[in-house]
Amino acid sequence: MIDLFLYIGLPYIAIIVAIIGCYRRAKYSKYSMTTRSSQFLEDKQLLWGSTPWHIGVIVVLLGHLIAFLLPQVWAAIVSVPWAVFVIETVGVAASILALAGLGTLIYRRVTSARIQAVTTTADLLVVALLFAQIVLGVLSATHFRYGASWSTGTVVPYLWSLLTLQPDMTYVTGFPMLFKLHLIGAWLFILLLPFTRLMHILAVPFQYIWRRPQIVIWNTARRRQQAVAATVAADSRREFLKGAVGVTGATGLLAIGVSNKALNYFKGAAADPEAESALLEKKLRRLELTAEERKYELERQRSSMILVAPYKDLDPLKGKYFIDYKMAPGLAFRGKDGLPVVISAKCTHLGCTVSSTLDENGRVMCPCHVSFFNIFTGQPEGGPAKDPLRKIDWALVDPTGKALITGVAGNKPEGTATPEELAACSLFITKPAPAAV
Amino acid sequence: MNRQSVMSISTIRPVIAAFLISAGIASAYPEFQQHIVKSTGRTVNCAMCHTHSDGPEGAAPGQIGKLTQAELSELGRARACFNPGGKPNSPILNGFGNHIIDAIGKTRFLELKRDPASLSGLLPQESDLDHDGIPNAVELATGTHPLIKSDGRPWLLFKANVAQNWGQILLMLGATVFGLMGLKHLLTGFAIATHDEEEH
Amino acid sequence: MNLKELLNRSGTYLAERLPVEKMNYASMVKKKEVPVHRLSWGYYMGGLALFFFMVQIVTGLMLLFYYQPTVSEAHASVEYITEHVPAGGLVRNIHSWASSLMIASVLVHLLTCFAMKAYAKPRELTWVTGVLLLGITFALGFTGYLLPWHQIAVNATKIGLETIEKVGDYLPGAMSDWPRQIKEIIQGEASVGQATLSRFFALHVIILPLAIFGVLGFHLLSVQLHGMSKGIDENPRRQEKFFPTFFLKDLRVWGVAFMVLFVLGLCLPFESLFPYPLFEPFDPKGSTPDGIKPEWYFFWIYYPLELLPLWVILLGSAILGGVLLATPWIFKNTSRKTLRIIAIAAGVYLVVMTVWGDAIYHLLKGQ
Repeated sequence: MIDLFLYIGLPYIAIIVAIIGCYRRAKYSKYSMTTRSSQFLEDKQLLWGSTPWHIGVIVVLLGHLIAFLLPQVWAAIVSVPWAVFVIETVGVAASILALAGLGTLIYRRVTSARIQAVTTTADLLVVALLFAQIVLGVLSATHFRYGASWSTGTVVPYLWSLLTLQPDMTYVTGFPMLFKLHLIGAWLFILLLPFTRLMHILAVPFQYIWRRPQIVIWNTARRRQQAVAATVAADSRREFLKGAVGVTGATGLLAIGVSNKALNYFKGAAADPEAESALLEKKLRRLELTAEERKYELERQRSSMILVAPYKDLDPLKGKYFIDYKMAPGLAFRGKDGLPVVISAKCTHLGCTVSSTLDENGRVMCPCHVSFFNIFTGQPEGGPAKDPLRKIDWALVDPTGKALITGVAGNKPEGTATPEELAACSLFITKPAPAAV
Repeated sequence: MNRQSVMSISTIRPVIAAFLISAGIASAYPEFQQHIVKSTGRTVNCAMCHTHSDGPEGAAPGQIGKLTQAELSELGRARACFNPGGKPNSPILNGFGNHIIDAIGKTRFLELKRDPASLSGLLPQESDLDHDGIPNAVELATGTHPLIKSDGRPWLLFKANVAQNWGQILLMLGATVFGLMGLKHLLTGFAIATHDEEEH
Repeated sequence: MNLKELLNRSGTYLAERLPVEKMNYASMVKKKEVPVHRLSWGYYMGGLALFFFMVQIVTGLMLLFYYQPTVSEAHASVEYITEHVPAGGLVRNIHSWASSLMIASVLVHLLTCFAMKAYAKPRELTWVTGVLLLGITFALGFTGYLLPWHQIAVNATKIGLETIEKVGDYLPGAMSDWPRQIKEIIQGEASVGQATLSRFFALHVIILPLAIFGVLGFHLLSVQLHGMSKGIDENPRRQEKFFPTFFLKDLRVWGVAFMVLFVLGLCLPFESLFPYPLFEPFDPKGSTPDGIKPEWYFFWIYYPLELLPLWVILLGSAILGGVLLATPWIFKNTSRKTLRIIAIAAGVYLVVMTVWGDAIYHLLKGQ
């Protein structure tokens, strides 16, 4: 029974009273639709009370209003997880801002003698109720998280049922007490609307936003002087305020658009086992390549000769690749005289590796830009390459480790060997003499 | 099977080489490279389709000389993918190379050597291996790499990315406008305040 | 001239260039005014370069979180940034774009300052520090290009450094080996390798930025001390306050620059503008890719280098450097009209070489 009154009776009474009361007051006592400004009596504390209070409460009220009036839009917004998070954060922050402002206003109202002189009982009732209502709101918001999300399925249908004259309170009777009190408080405010200073919210002075501030002063020379300073101060304060709004807006948009990017950048890559193992594999392969490279380098620094191939494996038409003392690829053939032909395989044009197959003219080709080189002279024969391939020093070494024949670039090979000896030999490249480096 | 295919390749090689010499350009299947270079003016190399940028021959990683036994058998299997849908995983080909063979089959591919321009028309038109917003077929036709996200015709890439990121751009535009407005008012306020000091 | 007189004169000289009495908020910010005329847009160019430099600092520090300057890891770490780190591609791409845009705005700044005779007394030192900053900026571009350690970058760096060695051909006797030694000091070993990477890394992230901070500090201080130069021969139509009017306009230009940079960074990979489709890790045994070129901002000297004998380029760049440094004294009495014509000619040269350099090269080489 009491529920029936609180959730259906009270709302209708409040709304009807509010409509009639506001109409009568607007019609018969137009100039009472005011908060009876007390800026004249005290303005310092007022600034620090009124501004945060109004900013906070307007943000919170707008949030309530949008959820109620545009439930579909609101539901679409809160279906995005981070949007709920942002809305909740903004809501609580705005409420706390409003509470702080309201606290200042209450303090001012009860401690300043000048303000006390113009304070009515209704004023005190309104501020006390407002304070209680916001505390209740913050408590419900923090106790029952994500109200922005669940209210669309509970409170909003209840309000719409009232509005469409098919009151249905099944949505609200199951609410926790905290929330019920907040709801009842809301109806009380609507009820109080025509009888208190609260009615000023129906007379929003939108033109104040772009109007220059007006300062009311006593008309004396000294006061006029002060007024100039006060105007400048007010002007700059306005600019600062607008600036703060702009910067806050920009920060907010940046927070939505960039902060997740910037934060995740420092957090690093998302853990995806497959991508991670692929990455590790790639890195390992590169490390192995580097290690192999280093091994070759070390070998070439330490040893005075390096094995290319056993002599019997050398072919007159198909060269054997190896890595020379300059860490570049080389090629070894068996020449017509039975002696090895050992030559760099790094094309002198842009450094591609030349192919290992001889054509009928005794030439190898670089596949990148089709340069041909005669392997016996090293000279380029056609193609963009201009310089000859470098000859590489070599030695034929028998199984005992004795070098039977050595070939140094630019000289005739030295030494002799019988075909049987040759068959047992292996081809090595030898470290170039320091002067030749 | 494996040994056989390797042998058959080595017998083909002189033929290819002879062809290459007459065409004045060389690589594994240089007709395609030559066509791309000619029609787009971009200096693409073998790594468009192969693992190694110097092509499949040689002893560097990703070239035939460096393959393990398991990789060689994969290579043999890939070389036998004569019909589309063979799902080859050739170690000397990169994802795009394998994609081509999978899409049109080796037989058709070898036929196309005479008509390299029509390859891009035969590839699946929607597939986009690097997710850069430009399908592989278009990337092939324009001479950009189908496996590198940052490679593509600038204008095509730009359009694709704008279409994908316009929300971010609008958000950032809003933030910039708001920020500039805010700074303007802050600085004006600062100027007014300091100006006041000076006057009095 | 005795020592005392010399000290006195240099004291007066410095006092005129660095007026200590003006080093306060009132004259550096509050009283400063900016002339308004048809060349006023030139006043924004330095600020624009400063903006891109700040972007470079921020994005550069961010890249530093992941980049690893070793030959086996450098390329992999850059790849990791672009492909795996959230927004890593964006940060790296903005760094690339801002580097190019910074150099472009620095060059325009140079030309406009020249055309407006902004180096005239008492701004000689501002000009000289500006020329130093130009050099450091180019050095930052050159060192930064190597860091991703891909085929193109390493080979281009090799070719760039080899130019130094070639200077030896023109030097007599024992001196002919000096350029090679200098080259090896720069690259740290006989060929471009780990030592080079370490050195370029140190240069790019510590030494050159520190140098820029120092020189830039002086440059900006003297700009604020002396105010904007008049810029044109006749008297400007009017003056506007530097703070907040001009400063706000400057901020708006920065806002536009930021948006352009953001959209480019998000939507157009810088690498897509290169004619090479591949950025493979550098492989010392692999082939040099075809058609290696330095970054576009070196084209103005790269193509002449390819076309003309080295000594012409050496002589030319020595003269250019000397003239740039000594501009305030060489062009002391030149009229702004002549200066404008010279600046336009230089600008046309830069644009032509950058945009059509390749075509000119092929035309002249007959390829």
